Amino acid sequence: MKRRTWLLSALGATGALVVGWGVLPARSRLGSPELMLKTEGDVALNGWIKIAADGAVVLAMPRSEMGQGIHTALAMLVAEELDMPLERVRLEQAGPDSIYGNVAMLVASLPFHPLDSEGEHKSVKIKMGEWLVGKIARELGINATGGSSTIADLWDPLRMAAATARASLVQAAAAAWTVPASEITVANGVMQHASGKTAHYGQMVAAASGSTPSGIQTKARQNWKLIGQATPRTDIPSKVTGQATFGLDVRLPGMLFAAVQMCPMLGGTAASMDTTAALALKGVSKVVPLDAWGGGTAGLAVVGQTTWHARQGVQAVKVQWQAPATGTLDSQRIQAHLLKALNTESGFTFHEQGVTTQAEKAAATRIDALYQAPYLAHATMEPMNCTAQVKDGRVEIWVPTQVPQLARDMAAKVAKVDPNQVTVHVTQLGGGFGRRLEVDFVGQAVQVAMACEGAPVQLSWSREEDMGHDFYRPMHLAKFQASLDEQGTVTSLRIKSAGDAISPRWMARAVPMLSGPIDMPDKTTAEGLFDLPYGFASQHMSHVATKSGVPVGFWRSVGHSHNAFFSESFIDELAAATKQDPLAFRLNWLKDAPRYAAVLKLATSKAGWGTPRPTGRAQGLALHESFGSIVAQVAEVSVDNGQIRVHRVVCAIDCGTVVNPDTVAQQVESSVIYGLSAALFGQINIVGGVVQQSNFPSYPLVTLSQAPQVETHIVPSTRHPAGVGEPAVPPIAPAVANALFALTGKRQRALPLVV
Amino acid sequence: MQLNINGESRTSHADASTPLLWVLRDELNLTGTKFGCGVAACGACTVHVDGQAVRSCVMPAAAVAHQQITTIESLGSLEKPHPLQAAWIAEQVPQCGYCQSGMLMAAAALLNNNPHPSDAEIDAAMTNLCRCGTYQRVRAAIHLAASVMGHAAKKTGGAA
Repeated sequence: MKRRTWLLSALGATGALVVGWGVLPARSRLGSPELMLKTEGDVALNGWIKIAADGAVVLAMPRSEMGQGIHTALAMLVAEELDMPLERVRLEQAGPDSIYGNVAMLVASLPFHPLDSEGEHKSVKIKMGEWLVGKIARELGINATGGSSTIADLWDPLRMAAATARASLVQAAAAAWTVPASEITVANGVMQHASGKTAHYGQMVAAASGSTPSGIQTKARQNWKLIGQATPRTDIPSKVTGQATFGLDVRLPGMLFAAVQMCPMLGGTAASMDTTAALALKGVSKVVPLDAWGGGTAGLAVVGQTTWHARQGVQAVKVQWQAPATGTLDSQRIQAHLLKALNTESGFTFHEQGVTTQAEKAAATRIDALYQAPYLAHATMEPMNCTAQVKDGRVEIWVPTQVPQLARDMAAKVAKVDPNQVTVHVTQLGGGFGRRLEVDFVGQAVQVAMACEGAPVQLSWSREEDMGHDFYRPMHLAKFQASLDEQGTVTSLRIKSAGDAISPRWMARAVPMLSGPIDMPDKTTAEGLFDLPYGFASQHMSHVATKSGVPVGFWRSVGHSHNAFFSESFIDELAAATKQDPLAFRLNWLKDAPRYAAVLKLATSKAGWGTPRPTGRAQGLALHESFGSIVAQVAEVSVDNGQIRVHRVVCAIDCGTVVNPDTVAQQVESSVIYGLSAALFGQINIVGGVVQQSNFPSYPLVTLSQAPQVETHIVPSTRHPAGVGEPAVPPIAPAVANALFALTGKRQRALPLVV
Repeated sequence: MQLNINGESRTSHADASTPLLWVLRDELNLTGTKFGCGVAACGACTVHVDGQAVRSCVMPAAAVAHQQITTIESLGSLEKPHPLQAAWIAEQVPQCGYCQSGMLMAAAALLNNNPHPSDAEIDAAMTNLCRCGTYQRVRAAIHLAASVMGHAAKKTGGAA
């Protein structure tokens, strides 16, 4: 199927759609006051904002805090519009209403080339696509924290909700004081008038209640006091005293603890189990066979007085494991299969410009390369866990999750109750990175809780289970073919990649009613390959969607994480083949992508690109757009006793308007280290259906002594905010690989990097 | 068994072989100390035993029954933070925060032994894993706390 045909069918495009499309108005997500929790003394003004009697603001918080600083950033937007001190904005977990759903994340799943949205005027095709998917997303209302989308999604609706609340409070004061609303100013949450009248919001909220003024404008950029200022995060104090409550820190009266073991062979089951020895252990009360929930693997749970008792119990159960009927998985075999698919199948065309075949026929020189990336585990520091209580037809869960409604739906499905009978408490997340977009462990916890006569049960995974039963970043292979003419100018670039698609599998697990074929075109397979900014005259990018059978999931920066390694390494190959400096080569092909060029120039100038480095060191660079943000990185690298050493990474990022610049720096630093662990060490191998890596000694992470110094430089921008949590992950692997090439002359075409 | 935790005598009914981590977390509800790997590889479970950093996930509780155990809960409070906690806030170190109790306890033990560690000494002592990659801020915060504590020590040292 050609890309255009698919787009049109996906959009269900008819003439009627052209009427009325545009950006979904921010007011459409204002919500009604009934959506917020009723709490003594507080008055809700819409679905997002409550005012407390003392004038403090309560914000309905739909997104999960997993280290990305989002609880602070969203509170900053509200504090800004209400002219409140940040510390007077309290958070309350938002309910399940669709106004809290993530629209931007779904819109970003459309396979549009980012350069087509660079200018002032987007094409009708893009506007239609975004409008329609936005409408669908708005209807679906899936609340998900992912895709680096929170600020992009809530930037307008949340500021509008706060500005509307402020307007109704000011109007109430104006009416009470019989003065024009335009004469009232607000500072630190206190309204005042030149006549000497003052009142805080709490004193006017009763009068403001029920009014939702229209025609409200959010604050003009030049009047911002908080947005754009480096602001201390509000969650940090509780994280330095050990008081922050992660999923594993939930403690309830009469709580039991459960440990799990899944079939070591992915997708397998327990043929039989002998629980005698386990049940004879002190402190062990139950063994519960576990079904395979949410795309996970079946197994067993042991319930005990403490996690330790439960884990001893798990060790004592004698199980006969059975491989899945489809046979056991093997990553080497899958790799061979992917290579075959790459060589024999044409795949789905995500991007085509010019006539690549003609350029290839006329080529004076051809450059070919094959790149590959392995399976990867997320390895969040807090292993998977969920606490559940099933009692009197109701279910209550406490869970570190990126998808509270999907957790609710899973709990309802397992307990066979209506989703309305499920209460979800979202805790702090000890890392997410996409792993907590899955709810397999929620199903397990509820299944165990159902066997525990109303007692709350905390089900947690060992590190070994966590690593052995992840939803892995899929293995991918990519073949590059470039044509050069007599002058050495690149005339065409053809890329074909192969690997499993994530989105259709996730949809089948998460929202089965919307799922399609698992090999349907999925932007995440091609992102970072089909959307390159370089102006080669002819380009062709296709992807072969495979069916390996390995559970695959969204891993921080998703397809970009490996595709940027492939594409930015190959661009470096082209620079080397044409004997050009990697920076000069890129800039030469970025003439129609000025924003990309500016980011690249900023990073290279700050890094001192082209100036002599200390002996034994070399620099490499990479440039990549993902989640709406453009990042360039320059890595300075040496090799010491066969070990790759990354000394310094200079990053430039254009992520549109910035809410909290220190959070941007934190996320860039974090992304570099996360991506570097994958570049230097990351590898999941599967033999006989069993994941071979089991804990940090066999799946190492970068440590403090190996961590480079990371510098972040932000490009000033007035564009709509774009992603921050992920876009600095993709460039680090190619930046390091390109530096290694500069240092050693050896091109690295597989991850992890080996010298 | 009796355990001396954060200056108090606490009773545990756990078997002698139970790792200290689970006594702290599941029996005594001191949940600031975290589970990360169970094989002493990540350091999320770091506590002090007689002032030294110990990975509590592999330390049988009975083995430390007669020693002073200190957890993150008594390192300092928001009202009266340990200089490391103040430095952690000043440098905005934590992201998800899950590993940070262990990081802080490892750093506190380091400064107990070596009030002014060099970068190389920090490298050698701070082997805790952080998946959010907060390392460069951890390093900066240790230097900041060392400097603050050094100044404080000079002042009190002068008076003594």
